[in-house]
Amino acid sequence: MKLYEYQAKQVFREFDIPVPVSMLITSIKQLPEAIQTVSFPCVIKSQVLSGGRGKRGLIAFVRTPEEAAKEVERLFGHELHIRSLLIEQAVTIKNELYASITFDPVAGTALLLVSLSGGVDIETLAIDEPEKIIKEAIDMRSGLMPHQARHVAYQLGLSDSTTKQIIALLLRMYQLFVQYDAELVEINPLFVNDKDVCIAGDGKLMIDDNSMFRQKRFEPGKADYRTEAEFEASQEGIPFIQFDGDIGLMCAGAGLTTTVYDLIHYEGGSVANYLEFGGPNYKKAVKAMEICLKVPSKVILIVTFGTIARADVMAEGIVEAIQKLKPDRPIVTCIRGTNEIEAVTILKNAGLEPLFDTEEAVRKACRLAKEVAL
Amino acid sequence: MSIFIDQNTSVCVQGITGSEGSFWTKHMMDLGTRVVCGVTPGKEGQTVHGVPVYHSIRNALKNHDIDATMLFVPPKLTKDAVFEALDAHIKKIVTIADGIPLHDMIAIRQRALSEDAFVVGGNTSGVISPKLAMMGSFPHWIERVYKKGNIGVMTRSGSLTNEVTAMIVEAGYGVSSLIGVGGDPVPGARFAEFLPLFQMDPQTDAVVIIGELGGTMEEEVAESIQNGVFNKPLVAFLGGRTAPKGQKMGHAGAIITGGKGSVEHKIEALTRVGALVAQRPRQVGILLTELGVRKS
Repeated sequence: MKLYEYQAKQVFREFDIPVPVSMLITSIKQLPEAIQTVSFPCVIKSQVLSGGRGKRGLIAFVRTPEEAAKEVERLFGHELHIRSLLIEQAVTIKNELYASITFDPVAGTALLLVSLSGGVDIETLAIDEPEKIIKEAIDMRSGLMPHQARHVAYQLGLSDSTTKQIIALLLRMYQLFVQYDAELVEINPLFVNDKDVCIAGDGKLMIDDNSMFRQKRFEPGKADYRTEAEFEASQEGIPFIQFDGDIGLMCAGAGLTTTVYDLIHYEGGSVANYLEFGGPNYKKAVKAMEICLKVPSKVILIVTFGTIARADVMAEGIVEAIQKLKPDRPIVTCIRGTNEIEAVTILKNAGLEPLFDTEEAVRKACRLAKEVAL
Repeated sequence: MSIFIDQNTSVCVQGITGSEGSFWTKHMMDLGTRVVCGVTPGKEGQTVHGVPVYHSIRNALKNHDIDATMLFVPPKLTKDAVFEALDAHIKKIVTIADGIPLHDMIAIRQRALSEDAFVVGGNTSGVISPKLAMMGSFPHWIERVYKKGNIGVMTRSGSLTNEVTAMIVEAGYGVSSLIGVGGDPVPGARFAEFLPLFQMDPQTDAVVIIGELGGTMEEEVAESIQNGVFNKPLVAFLGGRTAPKGQKMGHAGAIITGGKGSVEHKIEALTRVGALVAQRPRQVGILLTELGVRKS
């Protein structure tokens, strides 16, 4: 789970990682108070989870109350439905660095990355000028040792006072990484200001979804979901993403669902939603279809090939769902796996025309979607 | 012959008394797997399908030799159970748990590497050599999916594996051994680490990998071919070609960040070293035939 910048910076503050003076506002009415707290010049930063905010005009630098009001109004009226803005004191920048902690799946270690060339896309830098990134593997049994942080920081060649601040900052970043089961802690840019003080210009914090049970603080609320259907699916533990295409997917297994998504695109079709009701959810056909029906789509495509998720149980669930929910759109089924012969009989007895081949089912769903469109 | 497991491998089942553990232990034994003991703390003295249960692996070792251990243990408890097996110097461990915390998997991966052990999983169906033995949960009784043959398979997926192996069988082939490394961002063991075993296995004439977007496991396979570690024919099927960038869709490990891990990059790496990449599951069988792989 990815946190908003303001959430990441709140955590940074708790770990004594310096951040600029700021205030979060959710309405233009709070702007005068924010200006009083922050003072000019300041930066208005849209709180959205996608990257490249600067290039997309989602960050504004302002010097006067008039400018600030104009930009705040523009951003709250933005088509992205921005809910909150971080009003932040501008920093006089001497250096822009990069610092992050993530993991190395091959070595089985955490990984510290630091660069003097901050403020840019680190992935691009890694490809074009890899020598500009300092990498340090962290054995998680011992953690980031001070000598490692020193070794990395001294390579930057900054002033003595700045170097010491960076050493402390890296050690705190690692503490945070461990305490919050992070996938990524990133500060980009990490500013050094005109008084040689290090300040986190931005903050990115991603918490491992599998660790949510021990990281309750970050449990997402209703406001964190884009649609009602996505929220409802999350409450059921059903993986779900809403798109804006024609075919609603109700599949089992992440890999198979992703493959069906590909096959639909090869056929020139489009996907209305991604939904997985396999694994522990295979008895939830009724709920799964109810969620699917909340999304505008022209046809629902059901593809499974389960082992524990028995085909006959899933087929019964689908028949029950159709009887209960009376879907207003065609349903295409392709249910295979454990007890697949019984599943075919169940579906046929309910008046459905079960298919047995994934590609054939995808073609049929695409054809039906086009026919409905005409 | 097979890799990783055969009918002579002595297998322990951790979590054998649970409903899943008990259910799949029965299926593992039905296929021919030599399950010698089980472990569930607090249940020593019981038996499950005739298999004696112990409080701990150390207790089980007093009466049994254990070559490999199969975990039916919830994700939160997996690190402890894997470490118990590693502490007992067991070198083959399979964990199917879906939802193991990332930091736990980093610790597991590091120990497995430093102790030369294979930890297969999590978030996988496990390992199977059709007609011989399995550790995990596969519908081995469906002949059109798990027919014995000469194709080695490695996969990051579950249901998709059934879909692809069915296509391998449809084309007139069968499976020698199948290793599910799982769909997590940090799997305990990686594709490339099994290639030397498939290379040595006389039963395996070719290998199919079922990969997907995200990570670098497919690129590592290409590297092994480049280095001559593996030189049998190889066909890959990669899911997620049209997946939206930056969106976590499906497995946690399947995400493109900043251009890294894209399916295009993987296809380029694999085709450069002579592997063939199927666009659809059905093409996997067709490409094996194109490569001249003998039909069983």
